[in-house]
Amino acid sequence: MNGIETRRRSTKAILYVLLAVILVLYGFPFVYLLLTSFKTPSEAIAVPPSVVPDVWTLENYVAALAKEGVVPALVNSVVTAVLSTLFSLVLAVPAAYAVTRYRTPSGRVFVLAALVTRMVPTIAIGAPLVETMRALGISDTSFALAIAHTTISLPLSIWLMASFFEAIPDELEEAAKMDGASRLGALWRVVLPVVSGGLAVTAIFAFLASWNEFLFALLLTSVRAQTTPIVIANFQTQFGLDWGAMTALAAVYSLPVILLTLALQRHIVAGLTLGAVKG
Amino acid sequence: MAPAALFLAAFVLWPLVRFVSNAFYDISPIAGGPRTPVGLQNFIDAFASASFQGASVRTVVYTFVVVSLEFAIGLVVALIFAALGRRSAVFRTVFMYPLMIAPVVAGLLWRFLLVDNFGIVNEILVRAGILESSSQVGWLSDPKIALFSVALPDIWLTTSFITLVLFAGLQTIPGEILEAARIDGARFPTMLFRVIIPLLRPVIAVALIVRGIDAARAFDIILIQTNGGPQESTTTLSLLIYRTMTRYGDIGLASAMGTIYLIGMLLVASVAVTAIWRPGEAR
Repeated sequence: MNGIETRRRSTKAILYVLLAVILVLYGFPFVYLLLTSFKTPSEAIAVPPSVVPDVWTLENYVAALAKEGVVPALVNSVVTAVLSTLFSLVLAVPAAYAVTRYRTPSGRVFVLAALVTRMVPTIAIGAPLVETMRALGISDTSFALAIAHTTISLPLSIWLMASFFEAIPDELEEAAKMDGASRLGALWRVVLPVVSGGLAVTAIFAFLASWNEFLFALLLTSVRAQTTPIVIANFQTQFGLDWGAMTALAAVYSLPVILLTLALQRHIVAGLTLGAVKG
Repeated sequence: MAPAALFLAAFVLWPLVRFVSNAFYDISPIAGGPRTPVGLQNFIDAFASASFQGASVRTVVYTFVVVSLEFAIGLVVALIFAALGRRSAVFRTVFMYPLMIAPVVAGLLWRFLLVDNFGIVNEILVRAGILESSSQVGWLSDPKIALFSVALPDIWLTTSFITLVLFAGLQTIPGEILEAARIDGARFPTMLFRVIIPLLRPVIAVALIVRGIDAARAFDIILIQTNGGPQESTTTLSLLIYRTMTRYGDIGLASAMGTIYLIGMLLVASVAVTAIWRPGEAR
């Protein structure tokens, strides 16, 4: 019970109605996308538009997945996002731990600097990175794209992990060290299991940041490593305005992550709001 | 901390240094072509260019529209959630889903909803008797309103973030404070503006700054809807910089524009932090 919760039944009823209206408006666009993906390609662009399909069909899904480059792009998206998530966690966990446990001025500067990277326009890093990746001989690979995506997710991951580490009392590690564990041993065996929920949240954010990213993928990949957002965007130029297939691929791409994150939503809300509310 | 710092130095700081230094050269678009130092000429050109001025204004307008609408809707929904207490959990879940959707998908989806003729939005407005024909409003093809229309998917996509942050902030307001205000006879609007919003100030600051930074950088969501058109009416700075670099191949000028943009962002963000964050100050 929070201070704002209302006790009056009539107020509650009005609020529920208002909320229902907002949610219908909010939910409609994606529901409409799903419904459209099951229409025939011609019904998808019929005038006037229908909401519910006249004929339910998987035609758009078959057409979308059969298009050249679509399946490899889905594979690339998974590979890139998994790699980037790994890079992000491996780099963020020790950094966040050091920042929260040693509380040095350089640590604060570091966290601030990490946040400032969020203000840098993607193109300012992306264009020089194209040359860097070429120099490293990894142009147009998922590995290179994963590195670029990690520049987005790493600052956020450090921030998130730092707030999770903050919540752990120092005594926990002191006890482990009394029992003869090294600092690293204490981190690995005592602290990490306690923040496993926080790790999961951080991993999901890093994964989503890579999964949904567009501009780095546009600049750093051409054929081999192309990810799905680029392919979806190309539906409009390369194949004309193929709305039916576009809605089908968009559904295939979005629905799994929506369902996954909704299943884990309690943790995610915690992760989203932790840093902000602590101020 | 060291590996992460090294990573950021190599893949953020170093590219950024190269980007900023490019702003002082005239660079041939051909790879390996000549670089001629030109001093501040690119910056002078950028400030003098009408498209840069226009894009700067549009970036500010776009960011303002997105952030203010998101804040208004986000606060109302967060207050409704808080007023309903525990029972609102299911609704909160549903409300969160657009956060997971790729901006490219959101942009295309809204373009599909807003397109004239077979777009569902105009069809609904016609059925409701608000419009006379489904091609009456060209949401994305009328230069006068296109900048507001392209903001819609961004608002749809990320209002949830503001709601969730504000909702979490509302949970931290002690019930006694609100109870005391209520006993003093304060009505809801007074409570909202005199008690709740001042107490939430640090949380509001974080939410607005994070969203403001992201809205000002919006790229793919606009590109996919209008590609900056019609008549440049939706060309914000991020699109202009991208186009100057890739289509016109003027790396020096694009870098100068990007550098000005970055400095502007840093200034606005630090002003915002000191002006609205500052905790403990009497309102």
